[in-house]
Amino acid sequence: MKIVRKDYLPDGPGSVKMTPVDSDDLWFAYNLILPGDSVMAVTVRKVLREMASGSRDAERVKLKLEVRVEGIEYDKEGGVLRIRGKNILENEHVKIGQFHTLELELHRPFVLRKQVWDSLALEVLKQASDPTASADLAVLLMQEGLAQIFLVGRSVTTSRARIETSIPRKHGPAIAGYDSALNKFFQNVLQAFLKHVDFNVVRCAVIGSPGFTKDQFHRYLLLEAEKKELRPIIENKSKIILVHTSSGYKHSLRDVLDAPSVMNMIKDTKAAEEVRVLKDFYDMLSNDPDRACYGPKHVEVANERLAVQTLLLTDDLFRNADVPTRRKYVDLVTSVKGSGGKAHIFSTMHSSGEQLAQLTGIAAILRFPLPDLEDIEM
Amino acid sequence: MPRKVNRGVDYDEAYDSYDDYDYEDDNDYSVDSPAKVEEPQQKVKKLWSCSICTYDNEEGMSVCDICGVIRNPVAGDFKNSNKKTAAFKFDAPSPDDMVSTRLQSSKLNTQGMFFFFVLIAVCCLDFNHSETFHGSSGSIEGHNSLKKGILSGQLSDEASGSSNPLKIEGTQGNADDDFSGQKQTAPASNFGKMSLSDKPGNSNALDSRKHKSTAEYHPDKWMLPDKANDTLTQLNLAIVGHVDSGKSTLSGRLLHLLGRITKKEMHKYEKDAKIQGKSSFAYAWALDESPEERERGITMNVAVAYFNSKKYHVVILDSPGHKDFVPNMISGATQADAAILVIDASNGAFEAGFDGSKGQTREHALLIRSFGVEQLIVAVNKMDVVGYSKDRFDLIVTQLGTFFRSCGFKESCILWIPLSAVENQNLVAAPSDARLLSWYRGPYLFDAIDSLQPPARDFAKPLLMPICDVTKSSSQGQVSVCGKLVAGALRSGLKVMVMPSGEVGTIKSLERDSQSSAVARAGDNVTINLQGIDLSNNVMPGGVVCHPDYPVAVARHLELKVRALEELAVPILNGSQVEFHIHHAQAAGKVAKILSILDPKSGKETKRSPRCLLSKQSAVIEVVLNTPVCVEEYSNCRALGRASLRAMGRTIAIGIVTRIIQ
Repeated sequence: MKIVRKDYLPDGPGSVKMTPVDSDDLWFAYNLILPGDSVMAVTVRKVLREMASGSRDAERVKLKLEVRVEGIEYDKEGGVLRIRGKNILENEHVKIGQFHTLELELHRPFVLRKQVWDSLALEVLKQASDPTASADLAVLLMQEGLAQIFLVGRSVTTSRARIETSIPRKHGPAIAGYDSALNKFFQNVLQAFLKHVDFNVVRCAVIGSPGFTKDQFHRYLLLEAEKKELRPIIENKSKIILVHTSSGYKHSLRDVLDAPSVMNMIKDTKAAEEVRVLKDFYDMLSNDPDRACYGPKHVEVANERLAVQTLLLTDDLFRNADVPTRRKYVDLVTSVKGSGGKAHIFSTMHSSGEQLAQLTGIAAILRFPLPDLEDIEM
Repeated sequence: MPRKVNRGVDYDEAYDSYDDYDYEDDNDYSVDSPAKVEEPQQKVKKLWSCSICTYDNEEGMSVCDICGVIRNPVAGDFKNSNKKTAAFKFDAPSPDDMVSTRLQSSKLNTQGMFFFFVLIAVCCLDFNHSETFHGSSGSIEGHNSLKKGILSGQLSDEASGSSNPLKIEGTQGNADDDFSGQKQTAPASNFGKMSLSDKPGNSNALDSRKHKSTAEYHPDKWMLPDKANDTLTQLNLAIVGHVDSGKSTLSGRLLHLLGRITKKEMHKYEKDAKIQGKSSFAYAWALDESPEERERGITMNVAVAYFNSKKYHVVILDSPGHKDFVPNMISGATQADAAILVIDASNGAFEAGFDGSKGQTREHALLIRSFGVEQLIVAVNKMDVVGYSKDRFDLIVTQLGTFFRSCGFKESCILWIPLSAVENQNLVAAPSDARLLSWYRGPYLFDAIDSLQPPARDFAKPLLMPICDVTKSSSQGQVSVCGKLVAGALRSGLKVMVMPSGEVGTIKSLERDSQSSAVARAGDNVTINLQGIDLSNNVMPGGVVCHPDYPVAVARHLELKVRALEELAVPILNGSQVEFHIHHAQAAGKVAKILSILDPKSGKETKRSPRCLLSKQSAVIEVVLNTPVCVEEYSNCRALGRASLRAMGRTIAIGIVTRIIQ
């Protein structure tokens, strides 16, 4: 995110003009913009004009509109943010109070005006404008007969391709069928790999699988690259890392982000940190279940007793349209931080955030055991 | 290609239009011959050979069943044959018929009318029924059942009114109603009951269908085994154990000793293995065929091999032991009726395999138990390394014995056999080594296999065969699927449905151990060649081949009763992401809800909606899968109701499907 102009008071009103530069930024914007805020951007609108003769003429005009936000939608695949609301900027074509949907795209600047820039909003803004935190990683997860390609960004994991074929197992003479089926499968995966992995963007490409599928494919990849002179692969041979995962399904992404070789590459990024924290939580839950809790009620009680060491939250809790609810979570975060704890806000667009979202979206590792939490109804 | 059997004629010809269908006649039929119910009659009919593909088609067909070529020359007695079809149809309406009539009726928006017909049919039947069979005394009964018939008609009418014809579940329920209504196989009172139970909820509609299937299904004579013909029954024997315990070598050695591998082949394996510097793997190479497996010296996929013992046709399922390939082991070894657990007796190796967090011995034993295997042969391998020491053997027996008891194996069903695959001790003959002979008096392995009890089979149930493996041959336009028949029987010419896609195909031929066979029954491990199935990716391992009238359920939201395994790395929480394995299918999913924790001994509920599920706890949970799988409730079909959950490369829970929610 490029911040063009800032004009706000902390915990007070103000506006920021910014330009999203990568798809992650749209996600940040999605988290920043709340119903009630106003957004100004250049947009295109179809305007009906009545001629003197009475005939009607539709025309698309480029306008600058500012809307009071009522609804917001994030299109992950298309990379577009749609903001619906009523117009508040007088214009010759659009009246005040008319509905309009703004589409925010990459490289299109917009101005966000908020009544209150709270600490969390500022945090998001700071993160969004920090280019070094990016962890662009292409991950190819495989198992025999199934392959998926993911792009792991700073806060968004997008699924790019999924290839599924049935590969015969060995049954006597059918072994030839196995080889040709596997070859066909690899061929398809290679096509997808070339199409979706751009080594100019990603820091590295990870091939992960249980067993030896990754080695088989890696060998195939290099061989094909030599044969067909696929320059991007030959030049970036060193950027391809092999990692052992427990399966080829999406939730095995955590094995990838956990692997030491990948960890070194993306050490300081948010994605890696999220994985680490979630793992700590799980470890605590299995070793000492009284020192870990999840669910809003339990965490709240734990916080009242100043027991929260690490707070884990998903960002969609803040996306709540209900201001008091949002306020509640913001206060929770500040209070945890105030009592010396740490708070981690997970992106629900990552697999670790998805997992946390499954556990009600809020969890905590505690300083001391609270066995009586068990008795409180969730 | 001569067609051996004429079954399935009526399926072919059943695509007649709805209007042709005459309920009066149907009614007559059921009154005349109430005993003639489910399976169509097998009549020998004239065949005509297709000019293009030489397929022998039925007389009544105007186009070739296989290639769709129009019959040439066109049958002179086309009218006649048409008539014949009509007459033939009354034997038993096929489900295709039902479906097509229903579709048409819904298209015409005359469903109400349709039920009206059914209602009339029911009424007529009842009157006839009482007159012909009960005489005057039956009139009251007839009246009663008439009332019920009307009631049921109304109910089914209601059901159809409430459900949109486009809704699958709803229409399924309706189809059931149509089915029983048209067929009149059950007395009207029964029908009333059925539609009553059909009414509430979709899942119940499913249930009632299932009940009906078991109650109403009558197998043909050929489906039941003929004792005189074949004295050997089939036994699927899984060979499991920790990695490098010698499973493949043991299997290879057994096959070699029983003459299933020729000298020449063995010589080749030995030579190749020597070249690669792995001469100790020579026997394993008989089963590990792929270059990848040979190069690495480990089994990656379940290999299938066959031999005959005195009592059984034995099918060996040689499983991979490496922890990464447990999914392969699960999908391959679910077919097992009994298992050989191979233990590496050498110092340190047994301990490593038995170690809870790293070894696979425990995981495999538990998985095998969860597949429903009760009989276990524990082959304590590599006894030569420890000098055939009795102490070592006893130590292993004591340690494993306690563990097996905790898994639920009965002590009487476990056989302990010390052996050495490499030195050929105690495999197919009594041991020759004096050190082993001095203390061991029990049976040798081959004997032990014969001492296993033959497993019970569901011959009389509708066909179910989970697909283990698929090979497509686009040149012949056929799909070969292989697997073990869980219930029912198959023979070539039979029409079968492949779930979850629901496509209907014809069985072209059957193969067992690469030899064609005429009939396969429950328990048999066969390869079937199907024709008439779309070659694109519709048939996948994990699907189920089933009887077209009794399709297996396809669901993604299930209630399971599970037991968490010991030493869970991470407790199971609401929302935990898991890999779900059932028969040959696998899917990613999540634990939607932990409903209650059960007392492991009494099975009573001890705690409702707990926070998490820890090691060794039993619980009722709900699982939601990302992709639907073919599944049956455990009470209906055991083999399709056994599931295991895995996460992070480990099996975390095993259990059974108690309820299909959606």
